[in-house]
Amino acid sequence: MSAPIESIYAFFAVLRRDLHVYLSYRTRMVSQLLTTVFSITLFYYVSKLVHISGFKTHNSYFGFVVVGIALIGVIYSCFSLPELFRQELVAGTFDRLLLSPFGAVRSIIAMTLFPLINAFFVASLTLALACLLYGLHLHWSTVPLSVPAVGLALLAFMPFGLLFAALTVVVKQGSIGATWVIALLTIIGGLYFPVALLPHWVQTASKLQPFTPATNVLRHLLVDSPVPGGSVASSLLRMAGFAAVLLPVSLFVLSRSIRFSQRRGTIIEY
Amino acid sequence: MTSRSLELAEPTQGKQGNIGLATTARAPERKPTAAPMVLRGLTKRWRKDLPLVLDDLSLTLEPGTITWVGGRNGVGKTTMLRVAAGLIDPDSGRAEVWGVSAHAHRVRYQQLVSFLPAGDRGLYARLTVRRQLEFWARICLVPRKTFRSTVDHAIDTFDLRELADRRVDRLSMGQRQRLRIAMTFLPCPEVVLLDEPMTSLDTESGVLLQAAVAEVLSREGAILWCSPSGEHLDLEFDAKWQIEQGRLIAA
Repeated sequence: MSAPIESIYAFFAVLRRDLHVYLSYRTRMVSQLLTTVFSITLFYYVSKLVHISGFKTHNSYFGFVVVGIALIGVIYSCFSLPELFRQELVAGTFDRLLLSPFGAVRSIIAMTLFPLINAFFVASLTLALACLLYGLHLHWSTVPLSVPAVGLALLAFMPFGLLFAALTVVVKQGSIGATWVIALLTIIGGLYFPVALLPHWVQTASKLQPFTPATNVLRHLLVDSPVPGGSVASSLLRMAGFAAVLLPVSLFVLSRSIRFSQRRGTIIEY
Repeated sequence: MTSRSLELAEPTQGKQGNIGLATTARAPERKPTAAPMVLRGLTKRWRKDLPLVLDDLSLTLEPGTITWVGGRNGVGKTTMLRVAAGLIDPDSGRAEVWGVSAHAHRVRYQQLVSFLPAGDRGLYARLTVRRQLEFWARICLVPRKTFRSTVDHAIDTFDLRELADRRVDRLSMGQRQRLRIAMTFLPCPEVVLLDEPMTSLDTESGVLLQAAVAEVLSREGAILWCSPSGEHLDLEFDAKWQIEQGRLIAA
């Protein structure tokens, strides 16, 4: 048997470990379910109360915002990596991963798997509950296409988590910055309301990150919203471009940050 | 105690290609002139305004030997072990296992060396003992064919069968230490670095540790055991050293 196969087993071992830890907290799944129900209920009634230009009916805004809520979970999962990594540092388990043949960088990449899968599951649950409880109309003919689109979105989002994990390796903090970035992205990524409502310079800023095209594409595929300022293909290309550039850069930065901390001896600090 | 096993490091011509350890193999193809572990001229200073923790420290572990390094708290024992394990880099000098350095061939190096850090950290509190060991075996890239037997061997060697389905956060400190030691020996390492391994262990667990140490020595591996005092079961060390002012002196 070759080492690459054992490395794949190691990847899935990290995934299985995180699943076991998640399931060991028995109320966590119920809590996630309730949070989802509360969020979509809140925005269902908000959508009935307010009229936002560009939306013909309150249902069209509800569909718009439900996809945004589903994506927020995916974004959170990408940015949860620095906090998960910090927990490993504090528990002393990162030392073991670093000193294992599997290694630190591959372990950190593997640590992104469970939160992403969980976020994908919660996003699907959000949409399903919105359909069942509040009559959200999904555009079923294009819904299957959203799966590869989410995959591409994850590849475009993942570098942000890896970069914050690299920051955590060096300064032992990263989750605070990640929280600010998430808050910023929910605004400039147009997750709760259309970017067109924002000042012009914010609209320009929204083009400099992959969350806006991902949101636009998924809204189009899931609830048949028009893609503002371009086609689906151009949005997909932008996401692919972000992934192609940022993934190698983030992996390089993560690897260098670990070596830097090993040279300084601060890798043992937490 | 004998002094046959320990001498200051001689330069070796270690080329990683000569070691020939397949990533899934258990025993490396040993270079005749190489030792299980050579620490050569290790120097480490934490800050410029602080004295050297390690000052040109050199040590060779010969095949089938166990070496004890002692010294007061904070004298640099753990730093030496961390450098030897490949966790942190020295300012100068290098550590080699059978001629393999950590930075040239990280995966090989980590397959040959296993490190038990001091304290009770490094465990996943919410996993059971068996899942912890299974996870560790996977991360150590233990071959699929021997995966199950490797985990079972670790469970049996350290008498963890009754605790196998118990979560780590429900174990006593001594039981956790036994699990940590089981993880250290699980991948059948060539060199084992032990930092205060007797912490929280009762006499019976100490005997299990002694047996695991004997197993490593029987396959011509080497053990480096660090603790402040020299009282350890009935172990007979091949060499005893103290760290003072960053250097090794005979104990």
